[in-house]
Formats: sequence, structure tokens, C-alpha cells
Amino acid sequence: MRDRRGWAGAPLLVRTAPVTTPLVGVATVLALAVTLLGGLSTLLRRRIGQAHLVGAAALELVLVVQAVVAGVALAGGHRPVELPTFLAYLGTVVLLPVAGVLWARSEPTRWAGTVLGVAAVAVAVMLWRLLQLWEATRG
Amino acid sequence: MADPDAGARPGEDHALGGPAAESISTDADTARGPGRVLVAVYGLFAVAAGARATVQLTWQFDEAPLAYLLSALAAAVYVVATVGLARGGRAGRRTAVVACTIELLGVLAVGTLSLADPAAFPDSTVWSGYGSGYGFIPLALPVLGLLWLRHQSEVAAEQAEERAVEPGQNSPPKSPPPKSPPNSSPPPA
Repeated sequence: MRDRRGWAGAPLLVRTAPVTTPLVGVATVLALAVTLLGGLSTLLRRRIGQAHLVGAAALELVLVVQAVVAGVALAGGHRPVELPTFLAYLGTVVLLPVAGVLWARSEPTRWAGTVLGVAAVAVAVMLWRLLQLWEATRG
Repeated sequence: MADPDAGARPGEDHALGGPAAESISTDADTARGPGRVLVAVYGLFAVAAGARATVQLTWQFDEAPLAYLLSALAAAVYVVATVGLARGGRAGRRTAVVACTIELLGVLAVGTLSLADPAAFPDSTVWSGYGSGYGFIPLALPVLGLLWLRHQSEVAAEQAEERAVEPGQNSPPKSPPPKSPPNSSPPPA
């Protein structure tokens, strides 16, 4: 706390409000990119490739960061009104890209990309619900 | 420099993925191809509806018992449909047809009731307003599911017919099992 400048900017944002609109925005953009890539592969009659894996990995990274900072904030006393629902969303959203990639990789037809896209769309939708749940701290 | 493994890893030799396997419509399998997308969406709804019903029944049951019990029913139907579609086969298809039919009737009944008598549904369920809270996917899912299952049982029936036409099932002659027609397998690259 002595070095206040070190906490300025992005770290301050993360420290005070872990599930934030910017973080959710970045994750949403990544999720939509993965969705588009998946749809493109299906349209081009291709399986999934490097681009999908990289996109999904980037998305997963942001989601894990979000889960960690949210966990720290929860430990620090932040209490969303619907805590069980919030935790369920937080856990599921981290698992979804992994499940999507695993299942898409074992699909030999062009529908692999769509499977990954379904998971990514679900992540995007759940993130905004997560944001609502996080901000509702008082009934 | 050519990658010697490029042909062996068709899924990874392009950023956008290698060429996909051709249509699998000769193989009756409810969890392959478009079916896998269906199973993925059904699985999502099974998890979403199940989690929602658990929360509602555990912490808020007194607020709207009817709506929350319907939530739990919806969750159970999604789980059964997911398992049926994922397992496939005659039994899996039959299970999934029953689940999808109940699902279709449920979403129509609950959707109509929730609009006609909103007081009975103070808190929304997956099927309220024909699934409007979930982008009407709950209304489209059972229809797509039943169409896919009908297609799959037609494919399975054709396969059974072909198998019946082939003579001598238990005495395999010179040729390997008739899984792939000879003209569909390309020469090794």
C-alpha cells in the first residue's frame, strides 16, 4: 500500500473489481472470435486447426485470470447476493473452452468447429450473466 | 521443407484445420457430425437447467413450488435426452425420442401457461415464454432433435436392410467387413 503508484491503472481495476466490464469485454471478443473461426471451418468443410486452439487457449487464459482474481476478492469479503449461482457460473465458464476443444478435436467431420463455437457462445453469454451476478452485492 | 507428418495429422496441417471427413450419413451414430452439435447444446442445457433447478429447489422452494418443480423436470428431461443422443443405438434413440417428445410438450405447455397465467410462474424457468429467456433455443431443440433422430433411424434401417441383403453373415469370405464401399476410399497420397 505504500507504493500507491504501483497499484494504479489496470492493477487497481483488477484489485477493486475482479469481474469487470473490460475483462468480460476482452473475454467476449475472444469467445466470439473462436465462434467465428469454428463457423468458418464448418463452412469450409474443415476440421479445427491451430487457429482454433490458439484462440481457445487465449480465452481460457483470460477466464482463469478472472476466476483467480474473483476468488481472491471473494476471500477478501466481496459477497454477491446469489453466491451459489455465481460460483457455479465461475466454475463452469472455466471448464467450457476445455470441454469444447476436447470434444471438437475428436470429431472428424466439419461439425467440429460448430461444436467449439457452441461452447464459445455459451462462454460469452455466461460472462455477462456473471458480471450481473457480481455487481449485485446487496438485495 | 515438407512436413513428413502433414498427411498423418490432417487436423493440424492448416491454421483453419485440415479437410473434414466426408458426410457420415452412411453410419448410424447420433453423436457424430451434426449430432455432436446437438449433444453439445443438449449437454449445456442439462447443466444449466440442472444447476438452476438445484439452486431454486434448495434455497427458494417456497417462493414458487410449481415453477421450480417444472424446472427440475426440464433438467431431468435434458439429462435423459443428452444421454440418449450421446449413446445412440436403438435403445439410445428410443430414449431420446421419448425425452424430446416430453420436452416439446413441456415447452409448449409451460410456455402457454406462463403467458396465460403469469401469477403461477412468478420466477422464470427454462421453458417460460417458450424459452424466451434462452433465445427460444428450448423451443427449437426438441424439433431439431426429433428430426435428427428420425433421420438416424432411417439410416439405421437402411443399414439393416443392406446387411440383410449381404449373403452369409457368419461366413466371412475373401473381402473384409463391408464398412466402406470400395469406390469411396481414395488412393494413399
